[in-house]
Amino acid sequence: MSSKTVIIGLCVSVGLVWIIESQATDVFLEATRPDFQKIPVGVIGIADAGGPDSPEGRIKLGLRIEEVLKADLRRSLVFSLVDVAGLGVKASALGTEPHPSFKQATEQGASVIVWGKAGMRSEDKDADVNMEAYVYDAGSDEMVGGKRYVGSPSVARLMAHRFADELVFRYTGEPGIARTKIAYVAEQGAARELFVMDYDGYEPRQVTADGFLNLMPRWSPDRRFLVFTAYRHRNTQTIDMIELATGKRWTLVSLGGLNITPTLSPDGNFLAFASSYEGNSELYRMDTRTKIVQRLTVNAAGDLSPTWSPSGRELAFVSDRSGGPQIFLMSGDGTNVRRLTFEGDYNAAPAWSPRGNWIAYVCRTPRKEYKLCLMTPDGQKRVQLTTGPGVDDSPSWSPDGRHLVFSSTVEGRSHIYMINADGKDLERITHTGTHNSAPAWSPAS
Amino acid sequence: MTRLRSFIGVPLVAGLGLLLVMAGCASKSVRSGGNTATLQQDRGVSGQEAPDLSLSGQDGGGLRGLDKNPSEERVGSNALIAKADPGSAARQFDELRAEQAASAAAGLRDVFFAFDSFVITEEGRQALSRNAEWVKSNQGMQLKIEGHCDERGTSAYNLVLGEKRAKAARNYLVELGVPPGQLSVVSYGKERPFCKEHDESCYSQNRRAHLVVKGGR
Repeated sequence: MSSKTVIIGLCVSVGLVWIIESQATDVFLEATRPDFQKIPVGVIGIADAGGPDSPEGRIKLGLRIEEVLKADLRRSLVFSLVDVAGLGVKASALGTEPHPSFKQATEQGASVIVWGKAGMRSEDKDADVNMEAYVYDAGSDEMVGGKRYVGSPSVARLMAHRFADELVFRYTGEPGIARTKIAYVAEQGAARELFVMDYDGYEPRQVTADGFLNLMPRWSPDRRFLVFTAYRHRNTQTIDMIELATGKRWTLVSLGGLNITPTLSPDGNFLAFASSYEGNSELYRMDTRTKIVQRLTVNAAGDLSPTWSPSGRELAFVSDRSGGPQIFLMSGDGTNVRRLTFEGDYNAAPAWSPRGNWIAYVCRTPRKEYKLCLMTPDGQKRVQLTTGPGVDDSPSWSPDGRHLVFSSTVEGRSHIYMINADGKDLERITHTGTHNSAPAWSPAS
Repeated sequence: MTRLRSFIGVPLVAGLGLLLVMAGCASKSVRSGGNTATLQQDRGVSGQEAPDLSLSGQDGGGLRGLDKNPSEERVGSNALIAKADPGSAARQFDELRAEQAASAAAGLRDVFFAFDSFVITEEGRQALSRNAEWVKSNQGMQLKIEGHCDERGTSAYNLVLGEKRAKAARNYLVELGVPPGQLSVVSYGKERPFCKEHDESCYSQNRRAHLVVKGGR
């Protein structure tokens, strides 16, 4: 109610017409960047530089890499892909220098031209893959530069991801998200185990194999570890940490009762979590160096699901102290508690954007559907991001704050989906398995 | 707007409350807002040797920039992930089977709940009365009460709801004279459903406190 009043108040100051308009429109534009124009890029192609007769996997290597690169550039939201077939140039005819026709690229609507080639080093199927790609800036009529990668065939997709991130970095100064990972929970028979996959859903790798439940993973800021709720002893929960590179595992919290929703502060110095050790679920934070535990909430209701603000100074969390679950905010030491959500009787699973400007959460709609909502931390703006049947859960932000991953049963089985922060480009990224849930997007490297 | 600014919860109370509840336990010193309290973990903090997690600066992700004369760059896997260790999987499986067999032999009855509710119904009370008789005549047996939820709502909040259901069942058993020492609770939220259909007949099966004869640890 109060947030609605504020929005109407703002609209009146802009113009009366706006009152009837959806309150979402202006918010959506701002969800990415208010004045950001995507850079139109034309990908001429990644030519196959195969060599002699070759198995199918090699013939298509260039095209495969090209498709990964194009998808990365599209998902970056920094670039828009432009068709440059009108230039009449094939990637296979290009070397390291721009083609004279590139001077007309701006007429095709392209500011940046990309081309390259990829192939196997020899006929041996385990031979290294070479990829090289080059960038020409049509605006300044200048060669920007290129990259030459070599590696095993298993990292061919990663080469495309690296090149996409180089392009994003060159034009924005940000590291890009093409090499980020998503941790998630996948059903394995009656068990649920942790997995990690590339941000586009490829290359899933199993991380735990306990044969029971492992839930709700979160990344360490340096991407080396996951913290999560484990049931290694079936009858009790613990908060565990696993080192991805080694599989080495530690139990960080083994209080009685619930030990759930762990999350590390952006600097890694604190682990916030919920435990029902003292009766009902309360929030605690543990100093990761001294292991000293401090209780943050005190009331007879359930408190859970903490999420740090990017500065690490504040936490958003869920509490049912006012009846159904609602989102609250407080300082990192448990002071200054205030309620954030008032619309609807069920708001849960908050995730604070790494840009700080939004908190994503699960909102129950008047039709009793569990969908994604966004709210500004000052409570002034609220947007419902997803619609339709099914239960959406566990929103997690990309490190660039432009995307969310979440789980949804919109198509029946629970799968993992990606969506832009402006509600566009909904994309399912898991396609196998019986139940995929609890995605957590890694920090950028 | 005023509601947005309403303040709930005071840290001083937090410290004092902890002090009262935890008086007598001694394991780890907890300092918060000038108050000292103690907090004991079941098996202690076994992560004493856990590595330092504080962020000591990033490596820039290995991006080296575009180059007009690029030299060859070797691409290795950027996130080496160890093969999952199936250490306890076989043990879990064996223990689960033993638990199920023992629970079936005991004829324990589960308790079912309404949507979003952890209130024990009349039917639930009858089931628990029978379970109470069994526990009392089988002293030394440990009963585990698992809280389960249907698929609606978030995973995290359902873990809290599942615990409330399990504790409601436990509390009623204690009222019936079952020694608390023979009872333990654990919440599985919506993570170990009995059925997977997206309809009320399945949902109602999953909203339960499931009683099992405890095995293993």
